[in-house]
This record gives sequence, C-alpha cells and structure tokens, in this order.
Amino acid sequence: MTGPRRLRRPFVWGVAAGVLLVLLIREANTFTSGDRFCGACHVHPQATTSWLRSTHYTTKSGMVVHCVECHLPPAGVAFAAQKARLGIRDVFGTVFRQRDSLYWEERSQLEHASNHVYRESCLLCHPNLFPVELTDKGEEAHLHYERRPDELRCLNCHLHVGHYDPNAAQEIEFGLAEAEEARVHEAPATVDGFHDYTEFIPGTTVSFDMVAIPGGTYEMGSPESEPYRREDEGPVHSVTVSPFWMGRVEVTWNEFEAWYRATRAEGRTDTRTTEVAGVDALTGATPPYVPPDQGWGKGDRPAITMTYFAAVQYTRWLSAVTGKRYRLPTEAEWEYAARAGAAGPYFFAGDPRRLTERRFRNRLFGRNTDALDSFVVHAGNSGGRTKLPSEAVPNAFGLVNMLGNVREFCLDWYAPATYRERVGRGALVDPRGPAAGTEHVVRGGSFRSDPADLRLATRDHTRTEQCLMTDPQAPKSRWWYSDCTDVGLRVVCEFEDTGPARPRP
Amino acid sequence: MSENEEGSSRREFLETVGAIGAVGAVGAMVAGCSAGMGEQYDNYPWPPLLESAPDGPTLRAGVIGCGGRGTGAALDYLDAGPNLEVVALADYFQDRLDSCRNRLREEKGVEIPDERCFVGFEAYLELLETDVDVVLMATPPYFRPEHFEACVDARKHVFTEKPIAVDPVGARSVMASARTADGLGLCVVTGTQRRHQADYLATFREVTRGAIGEVVSANCYWNGVVPWWRERQRDWSDIEYMLRDWVNWTWLSGDHIVEQHVHNLDVVNWFLGDAHPDKAVGFGGRARRPSGDQYDFFSIDFTYENDVHVHSMCRQIAGCANNISELVRGTKGYSNCENRIWRTNGTVAWEYPYEYDEQGERIGPRPYKQEHIDLVTAIRTNQRVNEAERTAIATLTAIMGRISCYTGQEVTWDEMMESDLKLGPDRLELGPSELVRAVVPVPGTA
Repeated sequence: MTGPRRLRRPFVWGVAAGVLLVLLIREANTFTSGDRFCGACHVHPQATTSWLRSTHYTTKSGMVVHCVECHLPPAGVAFAAQKARLGIRDVFGTVFRQRDSLYWEERSQLEHASNHVYRESCLLCHPNLFPVELTDKGEEAHLHYERRPDELRCLNCHLHVGHYDPNAAQEIEFGLAEAEEARVHEAPATVDGFHDYTEFIPGTTVSFDMVAIPGGTYEMGSPESEPYRREDEGPVHSVTVSPFWMGRVEVTWNEFEAWYRATRAEGRTDTRTTEVAGVDALTGATPPYVPPDQGWGKGDRPAITMTYFAAVQYTRWLSAVTGKRYRLPTEAEWEYAARAGAAGPYFFAGDPRRLTERRFRNRLFGRNTDALDSFVVHAGNSGGRTKLPSEAVPNAFGLVNMLGNVREFCLDWYAPATYRERVGRGALVDPRGPAAGTEHVVRGGSFRSDPADLRLATRDHTRTEQCLMTDPQAPKSRWWYSDCTDVGLRVVCEFEDTGPARPRP
Repeated sequence: MSENEEGSSRREFLETVGAIGAVGAVGAMVAGCSAGMGEQYDNYPWPPLLESAPDGPTLRAGVIGCGGRGTGAALDYLDAGPNLEVVALADYFQDRLDSCRNRLREEKGVEIPDERCFVGFEAYLELLETDVDVVLMATPPYFRPEHFEACVDARKHVFTEKPIAVDPVGARSVMASARTADGLGLCVVTGTQRRHQADYLATFREVTRGAIGEVVSANCYWNGVVPWWRERQRDWSDIEYMLRDWVNWTWLSGDHIVEQHVHNLDVVNWFLGDAHPDKAVGFGGRARRPSGDQYDFFSIDFTYENDVHVHSMCRQIAGCANNISELVRGTKGYSNCENRIWRTNGTVAWEYPYEYDEQGERIGPRPYKQEHIDLVTAIRTNQRVNEAERTAIATLTAIMGRISCYTGQEVTWDEMMESDLKLGPDRLELGPSELVRAVVPVPGTA
C-alpha cells in the first residue's frame, strides 16, 4: 500500500507546481501585455497620445485596440518568440540608451514600423479586405495588395491608423494654394557675367540662389583604400569641368510647386513612353495620390517623391520660363561641386570608419559627429525626415546639403563600369555617362543615410520599379513615386561665352 | 496564453462570430473549390444538379434588363422550384419592359403592378429599393460591374448573365464586389451554363481523376454567325441606337470574343484548374460585319502557367465552317470537355451516359433552368456559392485576347490587373455620341 502512495505524492506535487507555473506565466503575460505596462516606459507623445487619437482607439463601435494587438503577432504566429525579442530589446533600450537619443518619429515611418507591426495582427481583425463601404480606389488597392502579399504590407498604405498623425491626411489642395508672400516677379533674373545670382520665377513669388562654380580639374572617384568604397567608384581619374552655376540648395517645394501650378494636368495621361526628348516642356504633372511631402512640411524644404521624369520636366519648364539653360547636373559636375576642392571621403575632415553606425564599437563607445552633424543632414541627426536648408553649413563653394538631406538626381545614365571605361581615354573634359541605360545616376546621401553611404564618391541610381511598388495603376504614375521619399534634385545652369546659355529650341 | 483581460473578451466575441459563421462552412468549402484547389475537384460537390430546387420561404426576384435574355431568365427562374416569384422589372426602355411584362402575364399568369416597373438609367436602383431577395441581371455587359456592385451593396442574391464586364476596370470591380458578396453571405450564380451541365461536370470529374493525364494544351472555338443587329430608326439618338444594337458595339458588349466566346474560355480556364493565362498574342479583323464597330474574327495564342498553350478562335461570319466546342489534350489522352474522352491513339476511353426518352430523344441537359435551380438551392440550403470571381477571370481572359488582337501586341495578365482601360462614355445619357463613329482598331498602330 505504501508503494503507490509514495509515488502518488510527488506526482500530485508535480501537477500542482505545474499548474502554479502555468498560472504564473499567464499572470506575467497578462501583466506585461497591458497598455499600462507599455505606457510605463513609452511616455513619448508618439505612443499613448497619438494612439488615443487614432482610429484604433476611437472606433465606431467603441471597441479599443490595445498595444499588443498590433505590436505583437496573434497567438500561434511565433507570439512567444516575438514577445521575448521585443522584451529584450525594450529592456536593453531602457537601460542602456538615453531616451532623447531615440528618434520616435523615425521609428514611426514605414521602414521601422514594419518591424513592430504584424500583418497577421492586422488581418486577424480585418479578414475582409472588401467591405461594402470600401471605395473604388480601395478596391483597386486591395486587389493590388492581394497579388503581391510578399512585397506589400498593410502599412504601405495604412501607416497612421494606429497612431494619429495630423499631417498624414490626403492633401487635395496640393500645389493650388500659393504661399502668401510679397511681390510677384514679373521677369526672370538678368545675369551678365559669371557671378552668383538670384533667379526669379516669373509670375510667382518664388526665387532661388544660383552659385557660380568656377571650372577646374579634380580627381573623380575614390581610391581602393577608402573605407566602404564600392567597386563602381573607381578607378580615380582626372576630370576637367567647365564653369557652371549650381543651385545653392536642393530644389524646394516652393519652386517645385510653382511648376506644378503652372503645368499640372487634370487626368492621368495614358502613355507608356518615358522618353524625355520630344515631350512638350509644358506637359505637367497629374495630382499626387498621397501628400508628396509626407506631411513634413513644404515651403523651403527640398521637394521629394517626384519621378526622374518629373524632375527633368521641371528643369525644362524652368528653362522655358527664365530663358536660361537649366538642367540636372552631370555626375562629373556634381562631384566637382560637392568636393569644392576637397579630396578624401568628405568635404570636411572625417573618417567613415569612425562615423558609421554600422560598426558595433561605434555604437558602443559613441562617435564624435560634431563636424558631420553641422554639414550633413543624415540618419543620425535628421529624425527620419528632411530638414530646412538653413539647418546645415555649406561647403567651400557655398553649396548646402550636397551630402545630406536628400539624394540628388543626375543627368547621366548609371553604369557600374562608367569610370573603368574612361581609363586610357586621355584628358576628360565634361565627361558624360553611357549613351543609354535603364536607370539614372543618383548622388549624395539623404536624411536616411549612414555616414558610410554619404561619401563624396558614393554612386547610386534610380530604382524605378521599387519606387513605384504600391502604385496600383498601369501605366504607373510618370510624375510621382509612391515609395521613394529621400531623393530630390538640384539644378545647374549652363554658362556660355559671357552669361547663361539660352534654352535649346 | 496571449490574452490580457480586454483581449480575451474580444477574442471570445470573435469566436462567437466564428461559430455563427460555421453554419456556412459547407458553403465556404464549395466557394473554396471555385477558387482553384485542384485536389478537391475529385469530390466536386457543387452543383448538385437537382431536378428542382427544394421548397422554402418565398424568394422574390426582380429583373434588371428585360430583353430576350432577361425575360428568358425570369421564366427559367419561375420554373426552378416552388415558392418563387418575379415581382419587379427594370429596363432602360419602356417597350422592352412592356414586352417582358406581357410575356410573364401570358405564359405564367404573373402580374407585375405599375409601381414595380421601373424605367430609365436609374431604374435598377429603384428596383433594388423594393423587397426583392434575388436580382436577375441581363443588361448589356457594359452595365454589369456597376449594377452588380449595387446589387451586392443592397444585399441581394444575384443571377447575372455573362460576360461580367467589357474592360479591365470593370472586371476588377466585379472581382472586388464578389469578395464583398462573400463577406455578406450572398449567393451569386453566373450564366456560364456549361458549369451547370451534368455532362460537362462528369467529364470534368473524369479529367481531374487523371483520365487524360497532365493537360499539355487546349483549343476552344466559337465560330458562328452574327447573332442579330438592328437597323437604325430615324428617331433614335446615337446612344439609343447603340443600346438597341448593343451586341455589335465593343463598349457595350466587349466584342463577341468577350460577349460569346467567354463561355469556351471559361471552360478552358476551368479544365486547367481554374487558371488564367499569363499572356496572349492574337490577331483579328473585320471583313463584312453589318453593324457596329467590332471585329468579325479573332485568333489568339494564350500562354498559361508551365508554358501550356491554348489556341482560341472565334468568328461571326455567315456561310463559313462553324464549330462551337473545346478540346483539352493531356499526356494520356484528350477530351472535348463535354461528354467524351479519347486515348492518345484516338479510341474512345469514356463517354457520358446520357439518358433517352421513349422516342429516343436525349434527356437534358437544360442548363438555363439548371442555373436557377442551383441558385435557389444554394440560397435555401445556406450554401454560399459565388461564381462571380471566376466569371470575372474568364471575362478578363477574353478582354486580354481582344486587346492583343486590337493592338497586335502581347498583352499580359499583370497588365490586365492594372490597366485603367474603361470603355464607354463618361456620362451615359440619351443623345448624340462620338462613339457611334468609332473607328475599327488597326493592329500595329496603337
């Protein structure tokens, strides 16, 4: 009789302990999954305040959607693993990071938000993507989504539904309300000789500064010894550039909207050609689908999200209304202007290895970014959005934001071997890229770039397909990228004989 | 283990909703079949092809589009089972409505009161405000996406004629409305009647059991004559003329490849596993059509997944060799999809066992009536059957072929799923219209 009883007792205790453990885990999970627990550390306005104002707190039915219902996957979809991952990360951040060093607005943007919002969670409560109330546009967008479930996230279009952003609403009046300002310019600037000038866009209140860049010879590209150098940046070769003018700052929304107002078209023009030549310079953009400034503000901020085609059309229009030959810079002009006489990775003293956030030791021991921060709007100081030009210090030519704020379209087609093919060609005066290609050169860094990627020699190119991923139309918009927010443009004006070149007929 | 207190109550709520939804689980399985799960076809449970729909509470139907087909659909509906009524009519033209109304009175003794007869472009909306449970849609295809969406939004079960649109925008609108209808538990049966024929269904079962092996190619044909056209009357405006002559105008009918040949393309899509082509290259032209702006003939090479090619051919010219059929060829044999399977060497491997009456006449199938029996059966047995999406896919397949022939270019499914092509006037009202002077498309010039 004692045998079974002796066995039974530990068994009972074991079961009791197991039950207790399960209950404890349940309690702990419940405790750590409540809104108050999250809110204890997430005291910044991007968390609780914006959530309370969002459509997920103030729902039509009065149902409230809580933090973990979006920010953790539903039960069964690696819930425990994700909870552990987030928990460890949050504890680490709370203990080791200064709270004000975290850019919460940046974390709210798509790239980051995708890491802490789960598609499965969206679809748990929204399994019906075609409710009766859905608009025609919504139907098209959801059909588009269903065909690309691996490429698209709910967040691509519904970024602000969990945390209200007053700037995110669609701006129907884009480009229609002109800034209240003083005088309407009657005529463009008259320029005699080669010196800095201020251009006036006739019929508007908009003006912008052009800097005279003296011609010269420089070493283009980066040596193999440069940290984070990529293959397409070499070999270093000597290039001569003729004098030209360059915009002191990247083209602003004020300037770009002047073009849009003057030329906008009502409907979408149905043409698949992206051929620039032969298109009427006054052909204008169609209205953007979402606020093209991402709600960050327009005015003097650099214009963004325009397609390469739209950027080129802007320069053609600008030439037509000012009687000067404006265009995008060639890659050689761009790098010459950006260097302003400097050799090395930046136009200020700095070592990419010391400045990059990619190295763990830099993250651990910190980096001295004082010089970088003063000259460049980059990932580390931008808060994940563009800044006003006045917030950066110019280079030796007086040009602002050559390396930061937004990346810039160049005139040339991109090819990885452009520099290699110049070897042995003798003296290079105003060299151009390949005669044809599929994507154009993009230079400089942006508010999103790491210091390793915003070196003077860094070369990049347009990515047309990726930049139009969520555009559900065919042909996709010629004028606005749906998925590219960190590229803009800077104009140059050609110099001829004694003054600005006249536009080509 | 994941619930916090608030969360668990919400999840319980969702589970309760789920339990209610489980009543329709059988229907969901059926609907799943039409979404293309090949292995389930072996036990293809739908439609059950009953002789008559089961009894149940009265189902009142309204007809939108009271031409010949709409009138026929109304009569077929009344024959589909007990307690079925047609109680409202809508058409753009008073004379079309009157002839339908008279026919219902003469043949079935059904009297539709004046207050349930609606005339004009808004007539369908007025009809949807009545207490009808079911809508029978037989307008020209141009109207279908808009009318279908309105029917779904009004929570009506729908029988709709094929094709279901004339352009990519319309086809996608129907796809979206179909999904909305699913969410509302509505039943939708379409006029692709081969899917409601016992012989086709039996042949399909044999093919999915491997009777012809893996499908390697297919052909389909609708080579016939122009079904009808109207001479223009002096007092007709451009729009009225085109509406009355709609089967000859691309913006109204989609051209005959869409309006008629969609039947055969739907069968091919079906036998290839509810697939759709990835691309199309075709040619066509116009030689002797008496009316409208359409082509006489189309010939298209469709490419499906795994490089399976399907040749589609359709023609509306009198006095030529006619053929209306399909043929799928597999690694072990081939089938006409309708009633017969051959081995590779040409000997018959299987034949559908038709029944014959005393006079030796074949009994059935009678697909036009069967469609309505199946619709009413679905509604009364609470099976959520929705054929709109697959018919939209068949329609878009035909549209894709048409565009390839009109332009001479290769057209892809991806382009169709994104194209903003929308035919017809911006605003439809009687009066003059440039569309009446539409130029017949010339390939290679677009």
